[in-house]
Amino acid sequence: MAAKLSFLIVEKSYIIRSGLMQIISNFYETGVVNELHNVENLLKNISGIKPDVLIINAKLIDAVPELILDIRKKFKDLKLIVFVGTRREADNFSVFDLKISVDEPKSLIVEKIQSLINEIKPKKDDNLSENLSEREKEVVKQIALGKTNKEIGETLFISPHTVITHRKNITKKLGIKTVSGLTVYAILNNLIKIEEAV
Amino acid sequence: MLITKNIKPADVILQNYHLIPIISRFGIKFGFGDKNVEQICKQYGIHTDFFLEIVNAFNDKDYNPYEKLRNMSLSLTVSYLLKSHYYYNKVKLPFIENLIDSLEWEEEDNVKNKNVLKKFFSQYRKEVTEHTANEETEIYPYVLELEQNYNNTGKTASSLLEKLKTKSIKDYAETHDELNSSLLDLKNIIIKYLQPAKNQDVTEQILIEIFKLEKDLTDHTELENNVVIPVAERMETELKNRN
Ligand SMILES: [Fe+2]
Ligand SMILES: [Fe+2]
Repeated sequence: MAAKLSFLIVEKSYIIRSGLMQIISNFYETGVVNELHNVENLLKNISGIKPDVLIINAKLIDAVPELILDIRKKFKDLKLIVFVGTRREADNFSVFDLKISVDEPKSLIVEKIQSLINEIKPKKDDNLSENLSEREKEVVKQIALGKTNKEIGETLFISPHTVITHRKNITKKLGIKTVSGLTVYAILNNLIKIEEAV
Repeated sequence: MLITKNIKPADVILQNYHLIPIISRFGIKFGFGDKNVEQICKQYGIHTDFFLEIVNAFNDKDYNPYEKLRNMSLSLTVSYLLKSHYYYNKVKLPFIENLIDSLEWEEEDNVKNKNVLKKFFSQYRKEVTEHTANEETEIYPYVLELEQNYNNTGKTASSLLEKLKTKSIKDYAETHDELNSSLLDLKNIIIKYLQPAKNQDVTEQILIEIFKLEKDLTDHTELENNVVIPVAERMETELKNRN
């Protein structure tokens, strides 16, 4: 399962917000999309939500220009998109990664955001080959046999902490979360026999 | 579109077929002609305002019914939740189980694939049944008892006061889960890892049913979390203060 991107839209107007939402939700890479109506607690929200992309109306930062510099400094990997609702050619938006404006056609906006997404994607997809490693297969097998993290660690000579890391990666790769789901996977792929499952 | 009491359900359903199971869940039978919501609700003895909140929430994902539902009697929400439980346990889950049972693979894989899926699904079914049974025997009667005593301005039943000393809806809130993770896994397994069955039409039906059930369960849990729990909490506090 490829990692999905998380978006945060900061916009006061409901109409514009739902328009932005509509555009964002159409990308293949889109995961969670969160909304904020103002810049109050924005820093706190970014820390909590950890979005990959932030979209903010230029008007909202007029009163607090230092806020965006702060965000840039604190969240180096966060991509910043500014939405410009009225003609403001004179402004300098160079602190942002991308500017989209109200009078642009859909095709252009989509194209610009897609290329920004493409810049992020390879990094997030790191070490995410769809196939399980031999070690991970062994862990799946042990889970399907009903073993606890501690027991799995003892059998495979790894720490319980490492087992947890393996489990997280397995779930990410397979998209399967529950023990019974992993058991089905293990049986279908002949990692264990159906009689061995708990 | 906002559905109001003057609107004809026939028109709404023709536009959005997702409402079909909700209509049936209220006990409304099809063939209702051009009657409007108010007339149909009257005919079936359904609380019109409650019905409108539920169908609007189902019809428009941005519609938020919780505020209004919290101000209506909990017994309305509970009786709707009970009907949903029946629908999951007695209608949808057995239906999906039968579909799984009718999947077919080539000789040598048939037994294994079928057994593993059946076992998985029956475990899930048991999980749902236990979850709903607990709500039906413990949680719902308790919140209805709260409401009854809350509305009764006289003396609060001593049996309830006794319960309030040890019991709290918070305990339920903390452990209340969505019942969805197994369905999510099953979708993944069928779409990505299961050997293709000979009857792909059945596979398709199963997947569609799972998606629908998942959405239905999510809404159901939201209703419990956003209406039953906060209202019960409010009544617990008020009853404790009163006595
Ligand atoms: Fe329930
Ligand atoms: Fe529940």
